[in-house]
Amino acid sequence: MQMGFYFDQTRCTGCNACRVACKDWNDVPEGPEAWMQVKYLEQGETPDVFVAYMLQTCFHCESPICAEACPADAITKRPEDGIVLVDRNACLGKEECGAKCLKACPYQAPQFGPEPGAKMGKCVFCTDRLAQGKMPSCVEACYTRALDFGPLDELQKKYGQAVEAPSFKYSKRTKPSVVMNPKNPK
Amino acid sequence: MENPQQSQDVRIVRATSAFDCGGRCPLLLHVKDNKIIRIEGDDHPDSDRQLRTCLRCRAYRKYVHHPERLMHPQKRVGAKGEGRFERISWDEALSILSGKLKETKDKFGPESILLMTGGGYLASLHSGSMAAPRLLNQFGGYTTHYGNISSEGAVWASLVQYGSVMVGHSREDMLNSKLIILWGWDPARMISGSNTMHHLLKAKENGAKVISVEPRYTDTAAAVADKWIPIYPGTDTAMMAAMAYVMITENLQDQAFLNKYTIGFDKFKEYILGDEDGQAKTPQWAEAVCGVPAETIADLAREYAAAKPAALMDCQGPARSAMGEQYCRFAATLSAMTGNVGKPGGSACGGLMGIPIGHMFRMSAIPPGKNPVEMTGPKIKGTLDIRDRVIKRIHINKLWEAILEGKAGGFPADVKMAWSMCNNYLNQIGNANKGDKALKKLPFFAVNEIFMTAQARYADLLLPVTTAAERSDLTYAWPSGPYYTFVNRAIEPLGECKSDLEICEMLSDYLGVKDYRLGAKEEDILKHMVDQNPVTSKYVTDFDKFKNDGIHRIELKEPYIAFRKQIEDPENNPFDTPSGKIEIYSQRVADINSPKCPPVPKYIPTFEDRNDPLFEKYPLQLLTPHPRNRVHSEMYKVEWLREAEPHVLWIHPSDAEARGVSNGDDIQAFNDRGRVAVQAFVTQRIKPGVVCMFEGAWYQPDENGVDRGACANTLTKDDYSGGGAAVMNTSLVQVAKA
Ligand code: SF4
Ligand code: SF4
Ligand code: SF4
Repeated sequence: MQMGFYFDQTRCTGCNACRVACKDWNDVPEGPEAWMQVKYLEQGETPDVFVAYMLQTCFHCESPICAEACPADAITKRPEDGIVLVDRNACLGKEECGAKCLKACPYQAPQFGPEPGAKMGKCVFCTDRLAQGKMPSCVEACYTRALDFGPLDELQKKYGQAVEAPSFKYSKRTKPSVVMNPKNPK
Repeated sequence: MENPQQSQDVRIVRATSAFDCGGRCPLLLHVKDNKIIRIEGDDHPDSDRQLRTCLRCRAYRKYVHHPERLMHPQKRVGAKGEGRFERISWDEALSILSGKLKETKDKFGPESILLMTGGGYLASLHSGSMAAPRLLNQFGGYTTHYGNISSEGAVWASLVQYGSVMVGHSREDMLNSKLIILWGWDPARMISGSNTMHHLLKAKENGAKVISVEPRYTDTAAAVADKWIPIYPGTDTAMMAAMAYVMITENLQDQAFLNKYTIGFDKFKEYILGDEDGQAKTPQWAEAVCGVPAETIADLAREYAAAKPAALMDCQGPARSAMGEQYCRFAATLSAMTGNVGKPGGSACGGLMGIPIGHMFRMSAIPPGKNPVEMTGPKIKGTLDIRDRVIKRIHINKLWEAILEGKAGGFPADVKMAWSMCNNYLNQIGNANKGDKALKKLPFFAVNEIFMTAQARYADLLLPVTTAAERSDLTYAWPSGPYYTFVNRAIEPLGECKSDLEICEMLSDYLGVKDYRLGAKEEDILKHMVDQNPVTSKYVTDFDKFKNDGIHRIELKEPYIAFRKQIEDPENNPFDTPSGKIEIYSQRVADINSPKCPPVPKYIPTFEDRNDPLFEKYPLQLLTPHPRNRVHSEMYKVEWLREAEPHVLWIHPSDAEARGVSNGDDIQAFNDRGRVAVQAFVTQRIKPGVVCMFEGAWYQPDENGVDRGACANTLTKDDYSGGGAAVMNTSLVQVAKA
């Protein structure tokens, strides 16, 4: 089984509640490390402007290139649900290995704090919440219900097969576990 | 993986915050060792019905446990405004404050004590805005302010037109609309009641067409609007007049509705057609004023008149301007012309959107009693004449001038001391640099506060206050419930913090005021408040369940529609106006006899608009809307929120280019009132000629007087409109590269 995210770009207002809720639940300190980020896209000219937001998080790829890139084997994909996790104790720290996971990942998902020797952190799919039968914190936080999660095949059944969206390129190499409802310029 | 949430010593406390926003979203606070360690949102089993909280309360624990919170009473040691203080005991603090109150009353009379309350904390029991008035009334009186910074224009307009401020529909009703016009409304950012955005998205997905009229392409518009019509600030009424012109000349108005439910349409028509002033309010005329193509205006008028039902959603942004009340009255008039008042899927307008179920305006509070200083003078209850209201009180947006000029300047008192709580007015009313002068001149200033805010830095005496997490209370949604929330105390007060009520109770002993203390336990008082309130007592029958759940949801069988009864059965349900009808022409306003208050809604040019000679020097109109990551100036310090959106100034590429400004550049925005340092956000999302900077960032002048915090009100004017609206969105500025 492979867990994945659904992102309805047509509903996202870029509010950042997902970002803050993720920091809260996972106790990520203030600063640049944010496992969930919201990217901004603006096109066109007044008054025909097109604005879209895109989530930037770990998409728990089918072929996690980050794990291959890690010299310390700190990144593993859980067989039971495909969630990609990092062992922060095994991580060498951003200077020592040169953040190889971050360089490899097409989605800038691996995150590092500002402190020297900062260990990689990234979306853990709120595994502790899943174990309690709860939604991931970001999904629970989204007030427009732009986010959903679940086994990827169920998401595909419910929401379709779309994987491309403005500001998002589906990586055929890593195969991110995501279904999109893209927002396209009129 | 380790899971602290599972451990035995974590309690889950059901509460809400009590910020000055429209949410009151249920929160599940995870508490361990007197610390909130995590937060979850509403756990209603139906996820669609959960009242989901926005990013601000998601960061609530970083606010409550912020390292910069004030923890002890302090007195000033540096110069005024410098922000240097030393720790003192509560006994010393209360001796100083009681001593100053007695001395000021004895020497100058009670009217020279200024009480500044409001805004910051909105709940029933612990809000200083009731506790302190009660104490000072028993002590002998005080002077205070009049008017709400955000909603005064909308309140005035709704009272004129409808005789009621409950002009909203419950949110589900948007699903009944065919057309929704967002006119100055951005619920994606300012929330407007939990789940409003969710319902708006559903309405759009249900097939409603959505059009946004606004100088900015808001986050809401970006998510839902089929079309954005950019307009110059302060000229909404010109466009509305032209829409009325098109409807009248093409006979599109719902004349039967107007005949049956309104008075004064003929007078309004005379104005629109130009019989009164020789200027027909044609789309061509409006185009020159508001910058919207005549054809676009005419199309919107036709579309609005044809779509049935249609909801015109006017809100408080444009109402916070020098033509604030005209805008809300105009919107309400268009709504009547299209027959959309009192109908499912329609809207009454009026800018307030409140429904009378679970609304903050109907909440319980400690009775403050009567102010001896206000016993004489005109009766102001119900008056629409702002001049009556500023005889005994100071208009909120004139506080600084009142302190500086006193009676000689026509204000009700010579202020010799001020005591402030639940607000950061230096930051939140117009003209912060004038505020700096006023607070430096003020002989004594006591401030109850949670943080060292921009205003708190000017205190002589600082009293540390608890957050909502440190006390139990009742909160009410606004504007659109329908639900009641119970705040269960999550943690014991931090440091030496006390609630405003406790501070007043202690102070009453020092002042020798007897019988001030409420003398009952917090929970008993709250129960009493629920039982005594005519609305809550009707719905909340099981107090313990309410307390345990933290929320009481009211199940409406069908959406609440403002004025439904008045429209369906007018004989038995007149409007609460003198005529019993919707007053497009108001005799009460005519009697005020002021050019600023025309009896029918009109477009009136204002100061600091595009025709003001000042426009040559300061050619950009400044908007100061709600931020997404603060509630006004509250939560400014919370880093999780600051990093979610940097503080910037929106400027159109054409205006940026003309000034050599690129995206991300350090720039300064300035006018004769002040100068702020901020970063440029160059975007197509704003009309050329307009710039936008979100309000609430903390004023922080450097040695040259440049506001490094970039508080929007360093640039805004301290004045009010004919109906009493604070004019935060009527300012001209210039922008230059720093
Ligand atoms: S999104 Fe990046 S970090 Fe996450 S699994 Fe894929 S490659 Fe690895
Ligand atoms: S699933 Fe959990 S860890 Fe991953 S982005 Fe969402 S909140 Fe953060
Ligand atoms: S919480 Fe939802 S609406 Fe807000 S930024 Fe995240 S995905 Fe978008």
